[in-house]
Amino acid sequence: MTGLQLVNGLASLLIVTSLLVIEAHGVRRSALYYALQSFVLVLIFVALAATVDAPRLFLWAAIAFVTKVVLVPFIMYRTLGGVEDPALAPHRLAFAWSILLGAAVVAICFVVVSTVHLPVAAALKPALAISLAHFFLGLACIVMQRNLLKQVFGYCLMENGSHLTLALMANRAPELVEIGVVTDAIFAVIIMAVIGTMIRSRLQTLDVRQLTSLRG
Amino acid sequence: MNASLLLVVLVATPLVGSALTFAASFLGSRLGPLVAESVHVIAISIIAFVCVVLAATVLADNHVFAFGRWLYLDPFAAILVGLIGVVGLLTGIYSLGYLRHDLASGTIGPAKLCSYYGFFDLFLFTMLWTATANNIIMMWVGIEATTLGSAFLVGFYGQRASLEAAWKYVIICTVGVAFGLYGTVLVYAEASAVLPNPGETSLWTVLIDHAASLDPGVMRLAFVFVLVGFGTKAGLFPMHAWLPDAHSEAPSPVSALLSGVLVNCALFVLIRYTAITTAATGPGLPHALLLVLGTLSVAVGSLLIFVQTDLKRLLAYSTTENIGLIVLGFGIGGPLGVAAAILQMINHSITKTLLFCGSGNVLMKYRTRDLRNVRGLTAIAPATGLLLGAGVFALCGVPPFNIFVSEFMLVSAGLGAGYGWLMVICLLLLTITFAALLRFVGGSLLGPRPKDVAPGDVGTIELVPMLALGALVVMLGIAVPQPVARMVANATSVVLQTTPPAAVARAPWQAGAELAAREK
Repeated sequence: MTGLQLVNGLASLLIVTSLLVIEAHGVRRSALYYALQSFVLVLIFVALAATVDAPRLFLWAAIAFVTKVVLVPFIMYRTLGGVEDPALAPHRLAFAWSILLGAAVVAICFVVVSTVHLPVAAALKPALAISLAHFFLGLACIVMQRNLLKQVFGYCLMENGSHLTLALMANRAPELVEIGVVTDAIFAVIIMAVIGTMIRSRLQTLDVRQLTSLRG
Repeated sequence: MNASLLLVVLVATPLVGSALTFAASFLGSRLGPLVAESVHVIAISIIAFVCVVLAATVLADNHVFAFGRWLYLDPFAAILVGLIGVVGLLTGIYSLGYLRHDLASGTIGPAKLCSYYGFFDLFLFTMLWTATANNIIMMWVGIEATTLGSAFLVGFYGQRASLEAAWKYVIICTVGVAFGLYGTVLVYAEASAVLPNPGETSLWTVLIDHAASLDPGVMRLAFVFVLVGFGTKAGLFPMHAWLPDAHSEAPSPVSALLSGVLVNCALFVLIRYTAITTAATGPGLPHALLLVLGTLSVAVGSLLIFVQTDLKRLLAYSTTENIGLIVLGFGIGGPLGVAAAILQMINHSITKTLLFCGSGNVLMKYRTRDLRNVRGLTAIAPATGLLLGAGVFALCGVPPFNIFVSEFMLVSAGLGAGYGWLMVICLLLLTITFAALLRFVGGSLLGPRPKDVAPGDVGTIELVPMLALGALVVMLGIAVPQPVARMVANATSVVLQTTPPAAVARAPWQAGAELAAREK
């Protein structure tokens, strides 16, 4: 197996793990699946660094390991672990729809990416298509989930998708750029988690459909 | 001190100010607020002073670079930095009175007051970062950071509605801006493959110089992502859903910052990309998209203003309408269209800051934003009533107030470029806004004095910044000052990548006076 095949293969694992994050019961399980997915992302960075001769990606991998495999899941597990809303338990039918949706999104993204002329990532188009699909799966999670903590995980998935795109297409960018993007992502998750917790304690719900006091 | 160092000072000052004001909350309930207010006033004063000095430097035809060319100030950026400096100073001073009122009424505690100034200065830092960034990825980081810096300000009061607004604000803007990252990465990747020095391919100054060699197909795709991403943050229809909620629930000086400068920051980044895309692909797609979204934003903003009974939501929808007008100006293009859009950015920023500060006074006096319960403001608080009236008439586009000048330029540009029907539609929509705002004047500013509201205006510390803003609204309406006109012309040349057009930003009667002087 060549390095590029390894990158493309690992990328496809991201889709499987993102479905697990979306459909897991409870925040704690979602946080663990998110850590697993981020670990796959770290492996992709390492494989990519060795394959396309981009040593900066080793540093990206180290930063992603500390922040996304350890820090963010830890924050989510500790601060949101006990925050539940029993009225929002997922049902089995939704999981089947999620798989179908995931397949459809991946197919569309493959078509879109195949039509764009991108010399930088010509051999990595499958991984690129998956990173784009991952981004839109996260978006779908935000749009379709009623649980606002699941929406936070939706954002995490979107962010992992764009992070992979960044690694595939902008891996020669200065380290400060990577640090800036990751810092933003971590603070976004922390701020969403804090506001989500405040809403839970003030409104006694995690259901976004209950957020209806502002209309018109 | 040289200009490069000043640019670093400009960006670093609010960050240091923010850290110190947050730290002040550990000094206790008496000393903490005092220290936080003092640090805040010093920080916003330094920022405003440095902004003026840097604007003068740029006006003398010097582009300023700093931090290994990652920070950059050209005339377009200098206008935005100037607005952040002026609006930051005036809303910062206004905040002193507004927050003391909240503290006295028990709405907030001393620690919360310190955190307000900490987040306020942090928000200024993120906007200054965006305005001065030359690296396109750091521009994106800056825009994303503006959301994160201001989220707690939107949810400041911790009430049901404010938390809901903060949640929608964070979710919609972070998701929207994530699209902007895709656009940014596409541009960067394309430039890395094409340009000779890969180390510089993320710099806007390098990209604009080599834009013609970028692949048009990739640039078109990137522009669509960028438009969705930064258009969300700018409050353009149909991505505007966060804007009325965030603007109405935030403390009034923060609403002024959101409406007066934040949306301009997002527009600024969008126009930076429009310049690159236009040079790479021609004006076809970018200008068409700007015209469509601009017109739709004007339409939706105007119609929703008409049905509002909440003062701050009314002002928020007016922001969507005005952002639509600005985008329309950039879409029309040409020196007059672009200059009109840039002047509208300035005029809208100043007018809307005045109006949101005025809405804060209304809240302090009436304890409500519901226009059905706000009556006889001019009789209750004459200075506030008069200043709000000036702001409302400016927003109506009535002479001799500032927005008339930029809207007149915009319509002239549209007619000159062959968009006659579009201009007729816009004028009809502006008439709807005019009617809605006149209803506000008749129903809330005028009328009999309610018995349950104590007469008397708010404090001097709230009125002084509003007086300064009111003076600017009139000054810019009577005649566009020479330095402003030159800066707008120079910024127009940055957007269009041409030599600066002559005397393009001026009131119609200024053109007449110049003609008369020439005939003599």
